[in-house]
Amino acid sequence: MGCGDIRETISAWVDGEASPEEAARVREHLSSCEPCRVLERQMRAVGTGVLQIRGKVPDRFREAVFARLEAEGALPPGKKAYPLSWRWATVPLAAAAALGFFLLTSRETVLPPVPVSPVPSQGTAAALTSEDREMIALLDVLDDPAALDADGEAEGMEMLAPGVIADPPKPAGGGRSGA
Amino acid sequence: MRTDEELMLLFREGNREAFEELFSRHHRAVVRFAWRMTRDPSTAEEAAQEIFLRIARAAPSYRPTAKFTTWMYTIARRATLNYLRDTEEDGEKVPILQEGEGEEGAYLVQLPGPDDLNPERHVWEAQLGERFRTALGALPEGHRAAFVLNRGDGLSYEEVAQVLGVTVQAVKTRIFRAREMLLSRLSKDVSG
Repeated sequence: MGCGDIRETISAWVDGEASPEEAARVREHLSSCEPCRVLERQMRAVGTGVLQIRGKVPDRFREAVFARLEAEGALPPGKKAYPLSWRWATVPLAAAAALGFFLLTSRETVLPPVPVSPVPSQGTAAALTSEDREMIALLDVLDDPAALDADGEAEGMEMLAPGVIADPPKPAGGGRSGA
Repeated sequence: MRTDEELMLLFREGNREAFEELFSRHHRAVVRFAWRMTRDPSTAEEAAQEIFLRIARAAPSYRPTAKFTTWMYTIARRATLNYLRDTEEDGEKVPILQEGEGEEGAYLVQLPGPDDLNPERHVWEAQLGERFRTALGALPEGHRAAFVLNRGDGLSYEEVAQVLGVTVQAVKTRIFRAREMLLSRLSKDVSG
């Protein structure tokens, strides 16, 4: 088969449209014909060229098409092009509002703790109630672990920050009893 | 997910959302086809709009006897053909053949030799895009449609034959002739 007779079949073979018999003939011919091998490559290249022409969807193409369709009455009436817009928008909006409320209220609960007021000075002692005085006395006791360590179990226990040598334990009853 | 054919049947029964889904799926391909067939952006947009109008108008008579895309491209080709004829009447020369014309030997082109056109060296250079568009636009409409539908839109020879209303052998010949003419035109551009 001559080159002129098989070129059309080569074109179909390049497109994957040759029959098995035609494909076998093409392969056999190409194996011995350099000009047709070049032609085959050219056919493939020119076939992909059309893919480079992509065009561009014009701005507002959809709106233009649907406006013309509606003007003609070619579309079923009633529903909008975007029928779900407002009705379903309320769901994520409500969720966002609830999340925002939660975050605001959560911030109030995680505020840093109010610092403990220092022990009032003698000048303010007159304003203290009896319950306040009992609480202050209890705090004084806690300042002296030995006061609660009647069995001496706290002896040698480091009550300060790690690495700071504590004062030697005081003997029982050596607390600030005069407070 | 519903098929195109199911959506078209739903639209025929009055379901607007079905048409909107079809539009979303295919409007890019329709615009691209119109662009490749007409070369002119404004003409392509007009033709693409007309294609969807025709699809909507034809819905009452739609029967799913073939793939939706085959039916859609049949409409698209006829719509672009009308625009091309209008352009021709306006004075521009757009080669349009009647069905069957030019199938046998009307476009016998002497292909360039291997040294005249080396695609690896020339064909995909930066300026090829415009050259290619010009060469494609110079093809007879029937050849261009066959070539674009097969190489550009991925339709098989059988589907192209259905769209164009010709035999598969005619499609095979048109695509071969289109390749010959494109290579010849591009070869001339490169050499001179």
